Amino acid sequence: MEKMIKFVDVTLCDGCRGCMVACKNWNDLPIEIEEFHGVQSHANVTANTWNVITYTEVERKDGGLDWLFRHASCLHCKEASCEKVCSEDAISHSKYDTVVVDEDKCVGCGYCVEYCPFDVIQLKTLKDGLVEKRKAYKCTMCIDRLDQGLQPACATACHAGSIVYGNKEELLAKAETRLQDVKDRFPNANIYNPKGVGGTNTVYLLADKPSVYGLPESPKVPTSAVVWKDYAQPLGKALLGVTTMAVVGAAISNAINNKGDGGHGHE
Amino acid sequence: MGGNPAENHPISFKYLLKAKQNGGKIVSVDPRFTRSSSQADVYAPLRSGTDIAFLGGMINYAIQNDMIHKDYVVSYTNASFIVEDTFSYEDGLFSGYDAEKRKYDQKQWKYKTDAEGKTVVDKTLQNPRCVYQLMKKHFERYTVEKVCEVTGTPQDKYIEVAKTFCATADPKKAGTIMYAMGTTQHTVGTQNVRSFAILQLLLGNIGVPGGGVQALRGESNVQGSTDFGLLFGNLTGYIEVPQAVAEQASLEKFLGVVTPKLGYWVNKPKFLVSFLKAMYGKSATKDNEFGFQFLPKIDPKDYSHIALFENMYAGNLDGAFLWGTNPVVGGPNALVEKQALGKLKWMVAVDLWETESSSFWQKEAGSNPEDIQTEVFFLPACSSYEKEGTVSNSGRWMQYRWQAIKPKGDSKADLEIVHMLARRLKEAYKGSTKPEDKPFQAMTWEFGEHDHPDIDLVAKEINGYDTVTGKLVAKFPDLKDDGTTSSGNWIYCGFYPEEGKNLSQRRDNKDTGMSNFLNWSFSWPVNRRILYNRASCDPSGKPYNEKNAIIWWDESAKAWGGYDVPDFNKLLAPSDEGGATAFMMTGTTKGNLFAPRNEGPFPEHYEPFESPVQNAFSSQQINPAIKIWDGDHNPRGNSEKFPIVATTYRMSEHWQSGAMTRNTPWLAELVPHMLIEISEELAKDKGIKDKDKVKISSARGEIEAYAVVTKRFKPYTILGKTVHQIGMIWHFGYKGIVTGASANNLTPHIGDANTNIPEYKAFLCDVRRA
Repeated sequence: MEKMIKFVDVTLCDGCRGCMVACKNWNDLPIEIEEFHGVQSHANVTANTWNVITYTEVERKDGGLDWLFRHASCLHCKEASCEKVCSEDAISHSKYDTVVVDEDKCVGCGYCVEYCPFDVIQLKTLKDGLVEKRKAYKCTMCIDRLDQGLQPACATACHAGSIVYGNKEELLAKAETRLQDVKDRFPNANIYNPKGVGGTNTVYLLADKPSVYGLPESPKVPTSAVVWKDYAQPLGKALLGVTTMAVVGAAISNAINNKGDGGHGHE
Repeated sequence: MGGNPAENHPISFKYLLKAKQNGGKIVSVDPRFTRSSSQADVYAPLRSGTDIAFLGGMINYAIQNDMIHKDYVVSYTNASFIVEDTFSYEDGLFSGYDAEKRKYDQKQWKYKTDAEGKTVVDKTLQNPRCVYQLMKKHFERYTVEKVCEVTGTPQDKYIEVAKTFCATADPKKAGTIMYAMGTTQHTVGTQNVRSFAILQLLLGNIGVPGGGVQALRGESNVQGSTDFGLLFGNLTGYIEVPQAVAEQASLEKFLGVVTPKLGYWVNKPKFLVSFLKAMYGKSATKDNEFGFQFLPKIDPKDYSHIALFENMYAGNLDGAFLWGTNPVVGGPNALVEKQALGKLKWMVAVDLWETESSSFWQKEAGSNPEDIQTEVFFLPACSSYEKEGTVSNSGRWMQYRWQAIKPKGDSKADLEIVHMLARRLKEAYKGSTKPEDKPFQAMTWEFGEHDHPDIDLVAKEINGYDTVTGKLVAKFPDLKDDGTTSSGNWIYCGFYPEEGKNLSQRRDNKDTGMSNFLNWSFSWPVNRRILYNRASCDPSGKPYNEKNAIIWWDESAKAWGGYDVPDFNKLLAPSDEGGATAFMMTGTTKGNLFAPRNEGPFPEHYEPFESPVQNAFSSQQINPAIKIWDGDHNPRGNSEKFPIVATTYRMSEHWQSGAMTRNTPWLAELVPHMLIEISEELAKDKGIKDKDKVKISSARGEIEAYAVVTKRFKPYTILGKTVHQIGMIWHFGYKGIVTGASANNLTPHIGDANTNIPEYKAFLCDVRRA
């Protein structure tokens, strides 16, 4: 199967937020009217708002101004922390190399939220009569559109050509070309496809350093997540059964998490 | 400049981004660094209301640095015309000014004519009384230093803009200017646009691919609405509405007044008579001046938005239809306009949602329903997706759209509502013998015998018929002034040239050359995509830029060929009489550098009605020809009490008064709060922090909003003094999913000297923490 990626060239983005509307429209997500944040509508992505355009003002050395926009959404890591820490195997890689959550399997434990290096995946509480259930949600790369041979809704809506979805090799090459094109204007421009998480299925051309956009400079899969998924879980499940293993998992992750605050994995 | 396409016309911006990737340069001139500026190669700020200073300086820069397209200027503009000695300019005033009436005698600005009545010209452009020399002298005062003192633009940025744009004087290059309400909504709005036109003519940028002055129309069909006579002074196709004055008392007299001697408008009688035939059918005959007397005449008074609401406020109007308009949010001095609605006997509101205007009488509007006697009717309208018809875009393409879904509930298409109303009124007037009811009886309304009109019949009436054979007219050159043809709107004549062939429905997306798509929709006139494209070739018919040639004279074929419909006569050889004129519609057949308007034939900088400084260019503070609307309801603020310059604007996420977008959940959540934008410096002065609630006051009112403290606004140094500017969105009101204060509670009733478009874009205010 042809390898595909989403390429976000933020230097072409004009911040119109059409991608946000298209996402909510296709995925039938409810509105969230947040308190006043300035020009930006939502502080961050949530379980109901899977992509957010961020707005950052940066004064240039020559006295000029850059107003930087970024379509912030799930990056779909190759080595996905959320997938690794999920005790229920609810998170997996689809055949499109994107990371998806199986709603039926998710028990809402929230480990994925704790461990996502990008603060992307979030929980929401669903009410079914008197029963309340928490589930994790995030961008699926519109897997149901990909199944139909369509593009992700954000890419289809993007009039600026800033979000494109297509052949991996071609788009990675395009990213390199565009990087050279914009270097004069944006000396700190870089391609964001972090190796620490094995590369991502959404690749960015950023106009400035990742930290300017609130992205970790070199994100990694937390060691605890690796220990859990690749060693403890398979072994534990065999010995102790699933439920007990979730408790053990919590203990291990707390013990290993060097931040001690259950922090957001910005290592 | 004067537009913010990334935010307000994003699809147009898509093509700018493409141009940029092909090596083009984007220049953004705006009081505030916008999302468009973020993609610009050059950004220059200017204080709101100083566009003429900015552009006058660019005109001067182009002339002084010899960055003009000389051959184009000599061949295609009126630069060589000699002006009568009665014309002069001194200290902000042109000759012929009557201070009492605030009006000019424009007869003093005429061209010199010879014994045969022909305009005297000097093709060397050396005669001191030729337009070129007069213009050069007029703008000499607009030096870079002086301009930047007034606009507040840093000089280096200003020069960078001038250099970058004036480089397009090279015939191998093209530059376009995209503008919108930031240009027009000023007391000098018309002259702001004139300044663009002058600059583009000097650079040879009109009529060439990639050139032009692009009016980005603020609503998806505002082009169509003005084409179809929505403006109070126009019938369809930009024919003047006759006035109730003795000089226009008959069809013959009226045509004598409004028909120019030169250019294609000499055919105006054919277009008007065909229009009258479409209006009155068999009741329009040679003997009754084709029903000219049935046409409503306006007295020479002003029927613009401000004038109507001033009259309404004074109690001079009985009733009003608010058709898709929301003045309680969108009108200037909106609190007064809300009160004015309460002085009507009846009001009909036609809209998709209950708006702030349709519910002006309610408690949440701050009104006491018991005190309001206006009888209000609300007719629910359906959205564009629920009906079929055409929309004309900024490029004059008339594009047909089909119905996607059935209208919700009882809502109806606007056309359906008009149709039902017209049919019932026709019925009501049927037996009347009163003379004043005659016009309504004479009017034809033959769009089917049901409440739902036959849109195809409407389309054909717009195109027009041969009234003898009943066949559709193929193109407007076939229209006649003897009553044998009809056409509802001459500029669209030809979009439906024969039965079953509605060209606005065409959807062939094949590039027919030079990125033209001639078989996609229909572009008026006669499917031409670039107006005045004759100017893309030199007088001999050879393209100035062979690489981007759009049309050319083909000597072997003895015809114009190329990728567009040539302007105008395809067989007219460059050597023929009139074969080297490029501007058919301007009255002189030239691009008019000198063009009389109510405040003069050249643009001159005047300060906005409310300004923080004295006019540095002359002792005339404001446009001498604007009408001042006096009265306690419309006070003028001064800079001692209100020292901050303010402007209003839109954001991508909301549309106009927000009636639609604040009721659309996924858009409402994107900008859910009323906000203003202020500089870090002003915020510091006022003790305002980012995201604080603030109060903004003007001489008209006070509102509350959230503050965005931003680097995108900077204080200006104007004539040695620090001047702050803030900006605010005008999308909010008290109805809808998200609500907030209306910016227009702050704006004044003051308008442009020609159009009376309100000055929303520059007024004075003060701001403090709430």
